[in-house]
Amino acid sequence: MPYELIMGDTELDSKVPDGPIDQKWTLYKQNAKLVLPANKRKYTIIIVGTGLAGASAAATLGELGYKVKSFCIHDSARRAHSVAALGGINAAKNYQNDGDSVWRLFYDTVKGGDFRAREANVHRLAEVSLNIIDQAAAQGVPFAREYGGTLANRSFGGAQVSRTFYARGQTGQQLLYGAYGSFSRQVHEKNVTLYNNREMLDLVVKDGKARGIITRNLITGEVERHAGHAVLLCTGGYGTIFYLSTNAVNSNGTAAWRCHKRGAFFANPCYTQIHPTCIPQAGDFQSKLTLMSESLRNDGRVWVPKKKGDDRHPNDIPDEERDYYLERRYPAFGNLVPRDIASRAAKKACDEGYGVGPTKRAVYLDFKSAIQRMGEDAVRERYGNLFEMYEEITGEDPYKVPMRIYPASHYTMGGLWVDYNLMTTIPGLHCLGEANFSDHGSNRLGASALMQGLSDGYFVIPYTLGNYLAQHQPHDELTTDTPEFEAAEKNVADNLKKLMEIGGERTPQDYHRELGKIVWNYVGMSRDEEGLKKAITDIRELRKDFWSNLKVTGVNEEFNKNLEFAGRVADYLELAELMAIDALFREESCGGHFREEYKTEAGEARRNDEDFCYVAAWEWNGDPTKPKLNKENLTFENVKLAQRSYK
Amino acid sequence: MNLATAAQSSIGRKLISGLTGLLLVGFVIGHLTGNFLLLAGPEAFNNYAYFLEHLFHGAGLIIAEIGLIVLFLSHAWSGFQVWNNKWNARKKNYEVPGDAGGKSKKSVSSTTMLWSGVLLLAFVVWHVAQFKFGIIDTGNRAVMVDGVEMRNLYGIVVDTFAQPLWTGIYVIIMVMLGFHLWHGAWSAFQSMGLANDLYLPTITKVAHFLSIVLAVGFVALPTSIFVFSNHFKAESDKYMQQYGTNETSGDMIYRTVSGLMSAEKGA
Amino acid sequence: MSSTSNAMKFTLRIWRQKGPKDSGKLVDYKVDDIIPEMSFLEMLDVLNEKLAAEGKDPVAFDSDCREGICGTCGLVINGIAHGPLAGTTTCGLRMRHFRSGDVITIEPFRADSFPIIKDLVVDRTAFDRIVQAGGYVSFNTGSAPDANSVLVSKDASHDSMDAATCIGCGACVAACPNASAHLFTGAKVYQFAKIPQGQPERDQRVLNMITTHDKEGFGDCSNHGECEAVCPKQINIKTIAQMRRDYLVASLRT
Repeated sequence: MPYELIMGDTELDSKVPDGPIDQKWTLYKQNAKLVLPANKRKYTIIIVGTGLAGASAAATLGELGYKVKSFCIHDSARRAHSVAALGGINAAKNYQNDGDSVWRLFYDTVKGGDFRAREANVHRLAEVSLNIIDQAAAQGVPFAREYGGTLANRSFGGAQVSRTFYARGQTGQQLLYGAYGSFSRQVHEKNVTLYNNREMLDLVVKDGKARGIITRNLITGEVERHAGHAVLLCTGGYGTIFYLSTNAVNSNGTAAWRCHKRGAFFANPCYTQIHPTCIPQAGDFQSKLTLMSESLRNDGRVWVPKKKGDDRHPNDIPDEERDYYLERRYPAFGNLVPRDIASRAAKKACDEGYGVGPTKRAVYLDFKSAIQRMGEDAVRERYGNLFEMYEEITGEDPYKVPMRIYPASHYTMGGLWVDYNLMTTIPGLHCLGEANFSDHGSNRLGASALMQGLSDGYFVIPYTLGNYLAQHQPHDELTTDTPEFEAAEKNVADNLKKLMEIGGERTPQDYHRELGKIVWNYVGMSRDEEGLKKAITDIRELRKDFWSNLKVTGVNEEFNKNLEFAGRVADYLELAELMAIDALFREESCGGHFREEYKTEAGEARRNDEDFCYVAAWEWNGDPTKPKLNKENLTFENVKLAQRSYK
Repeated sequence: MNLATAAQSSIGRKLISGLTGLLLVGFVIGHLTGNFLLLAGPEAFNNYAYFLEHLFHGAGLIIAEIGLIVLFLSHAWSGFQVWNNKWNARKKNYEVPGDAGGKSKKSVSSTTMLWSGVLLLAFVVWHVAQFKFGIIDTGNRAVMVDGVEMRNLYGIVVDTFAQPLWTGIYVIIMVMLGFHLWHGAWSAFQSMGLANDLYLPTITKVAHFLSIVLAVGFVALPTSIFVFSNHFKAESDKYMQQYGTNETSGDMIYRTVSGLMSAEKGA
Repeated sequence: MSSTSNAMKFTLRIWRQKGPKDSGKLVDYKVDDIIPEMSFLEMLDVLNEKLAAEGKDPVAFDSDCREGICGTCGLVINGIAHGPLAGTTTCGLRMRHFRSGDVITIEPFRADSFPIIKDLVVDRTAFDRIVQAGGYVSFNTGSAPDANSVLVSKDASHDSMDAATCIGCGACVAACPNASAHLFTGAKVYQFAKIPQGQPERDQRVLNMITTHDKEGFGDCSNHGECEAVCPKQINIKTIAQMRRDYLVASLRT
């Protein structure tokens, strides 16, 4: 065994307030300590990232009067990858009169997450979902509407009610632009200062509290110090650790990982989401995989031929020779089962030899019956842009030929451990959105990521941050002239220099591709002990090779993509090991974490609530091979732990 | 917002350009219609000229002329501004410029608006000098209309376009006018915000049709005079026998100008 | 990468410019083993890995989502912003739209308001400043009424969405013979002009955004319509007409 479990001794306090679940947040807000309005402008808040979580937090804190310094790796705040979310955002508005409620959204989310999320956080999310839709509508987000002018809804995986609000297939874009608009207004008002083209490369901790960050200016290479009274990390997930993913090429886990190395616990890194409906890979050159919104599963039917290796054209295969396997195996939810289940079912079909397309790693998503039922125009109205996107990429017309889809890395439920206040184990360092671990357990339901990012930014952090500042952080004068800043800056500069000076043969992309293959094959959709151990060994070897054979062209003092990527790949080479370790020691299957050894006879995930009903919060121990495990036990007082069934 | 400031914004300039452009198109349509009286014979044409000169006791023409000068100058000013800003906005052009095609409305016409405009403006100055101020004496005699001595404008026009040089120049310029309007006439609506995706296709078609009609119309007149110059000259001679005076048009203008000068001295 | 039967080869003439002050020039590169399914940017990735392996400075270009929605990528390909295929970003353009053996010229988006940072990377923050001048609805978080208390007709919402879909890539500016940003600005103005939420600030919004547009040094729109033709989201120039109408009304009213 290449690795032995080291236990940490930290008592993790989730700081969940007392009271009945539906009163906790109300009571929290009533009792939260407030910062005097006149004092707010004396506080400087550093917010890293300008996606849904970061932009909404910056806008809201700016409106409240805080001085916000906002950092993004792009040229503009509008480009964060939240922009690419397609399908929609959930809210328990019950506008459809179909029996939805805050409780039901809460329950669906806890169940969808396979009972590995913190109840109180999820309930708060469900409560706040109502406000998010109001907020976005008031911003002028052009949501889909009914003829009478009210908001329209669609249904999404893992839910039996229609609660998803959407703006064509560009919901993330429109919600982000809404937040970006409010954010821009605060920039105009001079409450928010935007530092674009900056990558956060270290966290500055002083007297045990997060008090600043070190950034690299991606245009000039300059390493800069920024001080604040609190730091909000809103940097998204680490889905690009798989190299091929639906994430953007600049999405990365570096900021979160560097915070981890400064003392923030990293929770549940093995919980990664593999999205079932992506366009299959076409070749080695490929830089990313394109997602087809899950909303397609509303009207599209997933199938494979009943005969193995059936090479006929899909339109030549008659209905009785098709296996609509999701409808067959999960009659209650059919094609709308949660993502992890749909993904694994596709993998199973392909593993067993039923895959289709040139690589045989794909299944069909067919719109024939939808087109027959509601006409091509209605289908075009709902999915037109997705169909066009598919056609442009594959050269096939999905109105005539079924789409080919295959799962791809999409979202990471794991992330920095946070308490109910969204604060990490480093006081003052908060973590919002996908970057934290809190609300989705081991599997995120469709249309919940947008909800969580905005909930954290617009409606949670304004209260919890005030509560922290009022109690623990005086508005002292800021300075970057401290030994802590000097040490952090030196750390960053040394690391950059080290990367530049290896002088080997292989490019960062080359390492990234190889790492991605290891992670995809052994820490992907299904895992087993042997594979995970092999992954750990392979990652260690690759990491060693990286630090002796990396080649970075150019110099630090310029726009240098290779240097940027090199730093990110270096961090991924450490994080990947933690993912594998986490997966290895979670000896159960739950949500996105599926261990071959732990499944029911029907091949479904088998949880072990007795031994693993906890959050695995890993502590940096000075070496990527020796992380320490701290546990936050999850207690479910309001929902009954049950085997997740979508049959 | 201060209207003067608004007029100098990127939108204001184009609003002015569009509005003045459209009014100028209106003028050009009127001008062409009037010119067609050439085909109705010398009497009709010269009477029309008389009518214009004496509209509202002569005030009508002066007001119209001032109006036209304002229109031309503001149109030219806004056009020049657009052109000038273009150079400031992109000092280094593409090594390999291209056209997107497809939905684009970019054309040789749209990209040469300044040059066709400059040419047209120069032409207008010359045209006015040639026909209003008669700086080229064609030797035509004056006529009496309604008891007032007038230049025989019909005769001047006919004698001018009997010459291949002038007909040639005018044909080129009038094609240029059509060219300018090919883009300008629909673009004016868009510039004034009077277009949307419902109306714009129709506006564009009508504008293109109009630019062709105007160009063809303006080309048709001098060319038909050139081709049938004998007929037009005969018409003119017939007319002169009835209404002609002994004074040439050139003398008339000289007399008017020196009269004005001595009147000024006297004052 | 192995050589496949349908592999294509190209001569790329790429604009290389070390920094904002460098004068820059076109440099020729050869790539082969390009397959038709590759996107244009993946072809450049191949070139860059080749250059990096040879120890040469890779071609700087920007991209992020690679699915046509973030607006980060943007190259002028043979004189056309985002290349020959209408309604597509550079990242969405596949190599099957070219013929093997083609010479392809690649230049950055050119406009003085988009200064070149390096090679094919330009600074488009001027767009952010235009939005900051008023491209939003002003209200503080928490003060929104119930979402269904303001009704928006399906058509209006649709119309607004058509404009709101702008990804801020800057191709409109790059393609405009006058380097005007009226399509970008018009799209934002239009988006809010069509819905009730945009009405209270409608006049001020268009005036302020145009003032900033002009101050940033963008040119005037003289209706060439190249912007609409290259816009990856196919935003209609009716948005510009609407903006002009609104501007006129706003100037007269305020």
